[in-house]
Amino acid sequence: MSAISAMLYRESKIRATNVTFVFWDFCYPLFNLLVFGVGLTAAFGAPHSTAGFDYNSFFLAGVLGMASFAIASNSSWSFFMDRDNGIFYEMLTYPMSRAEYLLGKLVFNVFIAAAQAVLTIGIGAWALGIRLRFELFGVLAGAIVIGTAGWFFFYTILAVKIRRNDMFNSVTSALYFVFLFFSSMFYPLGPLPAALRLVAYANPLTWEIDLLRYGSIGLGDPHALVVEAGGFMAFVIVCFAYAVHSLNQE
Amino acid sequence: MPGFALEIENLVKIYRARHGGLFGANAGEIRAVDGLSFTVPQGEIFGLLGPNGAGKTTLLKILSTLIQPTSGRARIEGIDVVAEPLEVRRRICTVIQETAVEMFLSVRDNLLTFARFHGIEKTEAHRRADRVIDLFGLGPEVDRKVQDLSGGFRRRVQVAKVFLVNTPVLFLDEFSTGMDPILKRSVMESLRAEAARGRTIVLTTQILSEAEELCDDILILHKGCQVARGDLNTLKLLSQGVYEIAVTFDVLPANTENEIAALHPLRSQISGTTIELALKAEEGEAIDIVGALAKKGRVLHVEIRGASLEDIFVELTQKK
Repeated sequence: MSAISAMLYRESKIRATNVTFVFWDFCYPLFNLLVFGVGLTAAFGAPHSTAGFDYNSFFLAGVLGMASFAIASNSSWSFFMDRDNGIFYEMLTYPMSRAEYLLGKLVFNVFIAAAQAVLTIGIGAWALGIRLRFELFGVLAGAIVIGTAGWFFFYTILAVKIRRNDMFNSVTSALYFVFLFFSSMFYPLGPLPAALRLVAYANPLTWEIDLLRYGSIGLGDPHALVVEAGGFMAFVIVCFAYAVHSLNQE
Repeated sequence: MPGFALEIENLVKIYRARHGGLFGANAGEIRAVDGLSFTVPQGEIFGLLGPNGAGKTTLLKILSTLIQPTSGRARIEGIDVVAEPLEVRRRICTVIQETAVEMFLSVRDNLLTFARFHGIEKTEAHRRADRVIDLFGLGPEVDRKVQDLSGGFRRRVQVAKVFLVNTPVLFLDEFSTGMDPILKRSVMESLRAEAARGRTIVLTTQILSEAEELCDDILILHKGCQVARGDLNTLKLLSQGVYEIAVTFDVLPANTENEIAALHPLRSQISGTTIELALKAEEGEAIDIVGALAKKGRVLHVEIRGASLEDIFVELTQKK
């Protein structure tokens, strides 16, 4: 436990050295909601298959999912910085397991994700009139934690395995495009062409966002969500195990 | 009776060499460590010497649990580095060859963060940090971010960290890189004090005088294999018959370079009017060579010494 708290302390200290990072960390999803959500609502109104929810309400889960993806992407860059500074290899000789190393970083990311979510959901409810389902907040909180964990471990694997910044940049740009746009982040999947819908349903980001959507505004089929939750948990466990394995191979 | 801090048995590390290209096609194997076996008693300062690519850093990486050996066993304080890496990490502290610091944190925060990872309580961490800040002359820089410091100061911060903790084993991979001579001397004294307290220090260095001065025991590696092992006197016995000759003339005689080359020295150097050479010879031959050189000009100074660690190192690794 002390290793995890030491890693949390270290990450917080580094992040606190740059106010821009802190501001952007907290406000990134909120800005997305205010810009895309408000803009698209004004342009198109409520998409017809979202069962009477306006686009701001529908998109709230999308921006929370996007945030967990962005936190993971930013964190994975820190592996490259730590490698450049040499501290990455030195830290691997500290008295902690590879799992504790990852969990320490994850706990920090979960704090960031929780702060983002509180700010985004609070201002979304207050300023945009999003009606939240408070009785489902346990699902929402769980989805934020496992969503952050899944993408953090996934990106860790890439950052550890791909040693070149430029290669990593290309791969993550491609993944950003595939994962974000072939998912239920921006639009409901029902009206999509069958092939795209199939890809989107196989995308773990869709599973996470569907859970976030159910936990925030109650939209979604609880039976299908159980399957998606199981799928995402399996994704988290596999990514965690492989991330630990990858660190052991360093 | 002290036990062994390190026990190495038939240790092998093979790297797969890779070509360029997108996926790096396999291009054979490199045996970085090739069947090493040795032990190091607790409380000793142990030097690993060898030319570039000898396997020193690979060996330290295995011992500090950064990489796993291909085969063989390594135990630190009786604990296997592969089977129980976390227990090993609780007993070691490592200065890696590359500079390793938290660039965005201040000097003090670097030390305190490191102390936290080693489970040192806050008040104690501050007390120890103040001590090493003094020891390493970091006082004026203590609140500056490390990214704003010179390479030498960054290295100081990195090495200073090992004096914050009390792990029984220290690994130092070329610790003195970038340090000025005064600081280096002070760190070497501190290392001796740590060894006297019972800590085992394993260091690699390219500066042989440093090893000569600091190490109780030395292992010379070449291409992953042991070529010699022992304290300085033992190593000198291995290299009996090697002499260092220095002759200073008032004016350097002509054609000296060719005549020196004809003696096939282990190494030679002409600086100003001084000729320095190390060569393998009988004692009488060494005196004859000095006599022959003395006939070529007016000699101001002559010195004949037994082999230095550098001579032994060159002879053993070249012979191999």
